Amino acid sequence: MSLLEITNLNLAMRSYEGETQILHGIDLKIERGEIWGMVGETGSGKSLTGLSISRLIPAATGRYLAGSIRFEGTDVLNATEREMRKLRGRKIGMIFQDPTTNLNPAFRIGTQLVDVALHAAEHDPSVLGLSGNASRRERRRAARRVAIEMLGKVGISDPIERIDAYPHQFSGGMRQRMLIAMAMIGKPDLLIADEPTTALDVSVQAQILKLIHQLVLERDIGVLMITHNLGVVAQLCSHVAVMYRGRILETGPVRTVLKQPSHAYTRALLAAIPTVHTKRGELRGIGDIMAEAG
Amino acid sequence: MSLDILNVTKIFGPARGGILSRDEGFRALDDVNLHVPKGSSFGLVGESGSGKTTLTRCILRLENLTRGRVLYEGTDIHGLTPRDLRRLRARLQIVFQDPYASLNPRMTIHDIVAEPLLIHRDLFRLSARQRSERVLELLEQVGLRSEHLFRYPHEFSGGQRQRIGIARALASRPDFLILDEPTSALDVSVQADVLNLLHRLQQELGLTYFFISHDLGVIRYICDEVAVIYRGKLVEQGPVAEIFDRPRSDYTRMLLAAMPDPDPDKSPFRQSPTV
Repeated sequence: MSLLEITNLNLAMRSYEGETQILHGIDLKIERGEIWGMVGETGSGKSLTGLSISRLIPAATGRYLAGSIRFEGTDVLNATEREMRKLRGRKIGMIFQDPTTNLNPAFRIGTQLVDVALHAAEHDPSVLGLSGNASRRERRRAARRVAIEMLGKVGISDPIERIDAYPHQFSGGMRQRMLIAMAMIGKPDLLIADEPTTALDVSVQAQILKLIHQLVLERDIGVLMITHNLGVVAQLCSHVAVMYRGRILETGPVRTVLKQPSHAYTRALLAAIPTVHTKRGELRGIGDIMAEAG
Repeated sequence: MSLDILNVTKIFGPARGGILSRDEGFRALDDVNLHVPKGSSFGLVGESGSGKTTLTRCILRLENLTRGRVLYEGTDIHGLTPRDLRRLRARLQIVFQDPYASLNPRMTIHDIVAEPLLIHRDLFRLSARQRSERVLELLEQVGLRSEHLFRYPHEFSGGQRQRIGIARALASRPDFLILDEPTSALDVSVQADVLNLLHRLQQELGLTYFFISHDLGVIRYICDEVAVIYRGKLVEQGPVAEIFDRPRSDYTRMLLAAMPDPDPDKSPFRQSPTV
């Protein structure tokens, strides 16, 4: 059984202008220990695929026309909300792009991490290392210990002091690490990272990639890394899926896809990145190449 | 049209304290010296908080300097009278990073691009009709069409909005353009088109570019010379090929090493190339 198996996923979203189909027959299988990169341009459906896995598409506007998502055997699209809560933030960890909007500015770092740990412990007491009948107070104390340990693990120095800081006292890189710490507290089996380094400096980005790589080695988790940066994919990912207008055009091991791309679009994406050898004026936009390919 | 930045220091603060206050303020720029030759593309690279944006604000005199001089063709920008400063600003324009935040959502594209012509109307003396003709000419120059004239910014994609920002910057016929991370909010494919547009415009109009970016690949592609700034100080500067191939400072080496290479074989995480 695969960790995650998406089969023929078709999603339509409703807006004022009517219903539009966004995802067309997405197929994707992720095993433990694999880091999947999902690349594509703005609006290609990367993020909506990621959100679908933890069923976070608003039911009022989104409608699945066909397909299934199976996470460790659970049928995600037909699970009850109660079952989904056991998965979200627990079995499926999520990291989003903008750490500033995904942290509550009014609460201390520690409070927010402790909340996540306590919530995860409701479904699995082993997260705190306690038995099921531990008192409230014991659980709080253990949750704080776990929070400090996680902060240390994501490379924040002096976690014991920093845990009482507020998000605004952290730099962008530290906030992003905090989001990773939050996602990892529930000991997830699958980590979905939606553009986790896009807002960061390259030096901080390099640290975050290293951190994700270490987590995969240590815990044998699966990762879905949504990004538009092919450099990040080339460095970190073991596999890659290329998306374009709601379809997956090409999937495979990262070396195969990036070195011998079989689809014209993938070649176009690669050609749009300026490299050492690109002469000025010779860079080619996707429009030109796709037009030639017909 | 060369620009010289001489010993520029900018200190923010200090907050007013007592006589014994030790607060010395924040040194955003520390003795920066730069020479941007006419007709060249000059790149400025640095991470967030390094002083890139403060330096551009100092060039445009949106900030006053603590020390130093900014010379444009030998004239000290910070010594100009308000009237002369306004005349100079017609020739020194800027394209901002965020195409979503830098266009007024309540103005049509026509009005956005025509605004510099109105502000500098004593220089151009155009009638309303001539202004509209000039706006159309500018839109065509950046690859947009007449049907776009009376639409609003929200009707455009990120790449198109950045083209509108470029058209607005070109309206007052500048010879020096500051480009503050003009492609960092765009997809790589759209970035390629905007970079090519900038390259074409430079050749057609003989512009001098001061190009700010944290993307070293983009800098290498578009610039002739580059300066690396770290915590308000210039770490090194020189021709692009030289800095990229033989970086002298540890900081530049670190920046280059941290840049993710799109070649999977150059990944630091993949020991065996078979994976």
